[in-house]
Amino acid sequence: MTASGITCIATEGLTKRFPRVTALEDLTVTAGAGVTGLVGANGAGKSTLIKILLGLLPATSGRARVLDMDAATQGAEIRRVVGYMPEHDCLPPDVSATEFVVHMAQMSGLPRTAARERAADTLRHVGLDEERYRPIGGYSTGMRQKVKLAQALVHDPRLVFLDEPTNGLDPRGRDEMLALIRRIGGEFGISVLVTSHLLGELERVCDHVVVIDAGRLLRSSSIGEFTQATQAIAVEVEDGLQSLADRLTGVGEAVAVQGRTLTVQVPAEADPGRAYDAVRDAVCDLNLNLVRLEQRRGHIEDVFKEPAA
Amino acid sequence: MMPEPTGVIHDIGYRHYEGARLGRGNAFMALALHSLRGAFGFGRTARAKIMPLLLVTIMLLPAVVSIAVMALVKQPAMRYHEYAVIMQAVLAIFLAAQAPYLVAPDLRFRVLPLYLSRPVGVLDYLGAKLAAMSVAMFLVLALPLTLLFAGELLVDLPGPPKTGEYFASMGGAVILAVLLASLGLALASFTPRRGLGVASVIAFYLFTSAVTAVFFGVLMSMGEDAAAKWSMMVSPFFLVDSVQVALFGTDPSNGEGYPPGLWSCVILLAVIAVALSGLVLRYRKAASS
Ligand SMILES: Nc1ncnc2c1ncn2[C@@H]1O[C@H](COP(=O)(O)OP(=O)(O)OP(=O)(O)O)[C@@H](O)[C@H]1O
Ligand SMILES: [Mg+2]
Repeated sequence: MTASGITCIATEGLTKRFPRVTALEDLTVTAGAGVTGLVGANGAGKSTLIKILLGLLPATSGRARVLDMDAATQGAEIRRVVGYMPEHDCLPPDVSATEFVVHMAQMSGLPRTAARERAADTLRHVGLDEERYRPIGGYSTGMRQKVKLAQALVHDPRLVFLDEPTNGLDPRGRDEMLALIRRIGGEFGISVLVTSHLLGELERVCDHVVVIDAGRLLRSSSIGEFTQATQAIAVEVEDGLQSLADRLTGVGEAVAVQGRTLTVQVPAEADPGRAYDAVRDAVCDLNLNLVRLEQRRGHIEDVFKEPAA
Repeated sequence: MMPEPTGVIHDIGYRHYEGARLGRGNAFMALALHSLRGAFGFGRTARAKIMPLLLVTIMLLPAVVSIAVMALVKQPAMRYHEYAVIMQAVLAIFLAAQAPYLVAPDLRFRVLPLYLSRPVGVLDYLGAKLAAMSVAMFLVLALPLTLLFAGELLVDLPGPPKTGEYFASMGGAVILAVLLASLGLALASFTPRRGLGVASVIAFYLFTSAVTAVFFGVLMSMGEDAAAKWSMMVSPFFLVDSVQVALFGTDPSNGEGYPPGLWSCVILLAVIAVALSGLVLRYRKAASS
């Protein structure tokens, strides 16, 4: 939950079983206003959760509420005030982005003139300029993602579900998309639930992160707790990794050796500068050749090694 | 102030939408209208306009010729009630060309989830598509009928105008439009490929026509007149013609007449029900995947 205290999404013991797999298992989680990241590997159940929240898929058991409405019984009301950007392609090739977004705005209940205005505004906000009059069939992946985002925002929803919006984008497109998501949650004042299988990219834009694995909640916490708890320093030296480890352990640092890399854990409340100093002093004293020294922030692999908070 | 180095105006602040949010009925109407316009090529590429325009023109030709004949020899030429049966190939081609356009792209390019994530439900979506296809088929047939009627009034033939026959044919046109739209959309929805959809509607038309012709011919030659008349019910066009005969008392357009009673109405309703059930089942499945 964020400081504002509004609950956008709340699930309670949510379970979804398909004939062969259990996609969600006893998931209890809440998300407030702002940007919430939903992180999990392929098949973790992210898209399934979104479909249940939209009221499009019935849960096997448990409850889900969106903006204080029940997903099982008030799906139509929920769909009126939320936006959805699917993970898959969903654009017809032979119409222009403008026509398409206008049409989708009308499908959300906007009158035609309002739909036109909103479509133009929204396409500008997502950064589609002159191209918006050309048929979508000729667009790049980056432009298509922007159109998909625009149709999710055009009716000015209170909450948007963005399913893997950075999928298929190059680094620059990804940065642009992430910056846009930050603006949607901040400046636009629209709450966001965004999924990804990379915690690393979401930590830059999220206020809150939920990690699920095989349909189970692994962790749900504010982004601050996340990165602090998993902050660490990675060190590589040419020879003598073990002696460095022993030396650092001797001065009270928590270290672990994984292959050629030595990781120094930095406690959340501690000053990371002290740990860096200790590494520097130890390397100098032992006369080792330093290959790499870098700060490591929470990555999904680290999260998986820790118990759920 | 220094101008921004990039010439792009991105940072006009976000404005919330405070205006009206209309209900499902409005989205339904917007979708139906959008689809109807599309069926005649409006709002689409120039190429997409050729086929509907051509077919509508061909549909109008007999009416135009009839009016000319009426003006010259002061005698009725084409009759209202037989217009649909005579022009059935053109109506079938229009259906085959436009029904797949209405449903296939949303399945193939997976646009359907975007509709369903809005207040529009599966039944709203299908209802709008069905309404659009039905109105399109009706217009294609009603336009020449109405032109013919206007011509008859203008030419002022001896005797009273055939107002009753005109309205009976318009009633038949409504029934035919709903039947063809249900069949066309159901057939087209089973393949996300538009080309295959076109082929399957054409194949259905040719198949039912061939079956009707063969059975009618064989049974008549065997002297089984009653059975031969029943075999006409296989063709959607003769089925509707027989409904028109039963409900409005028009002359049969097949020359021989149809089985007596309201059985044709029962068959008509059953065929529409089967087609619509197939359509709904198909979309229930598409929506849940
Ligand atoms: N309609 C369905 N029928 C049967 N199984 C399904 C269905 N939808 C999803 N699943 C299964 O449920 C599990 C969760 O799928 P889901 O799509 O929610 O995962 P995800 O986290 O979105 O994965 P990805 O990162 O690949 O998008 C998977 O094992 C998937 O195979
Ligand atoms: Mg997914």
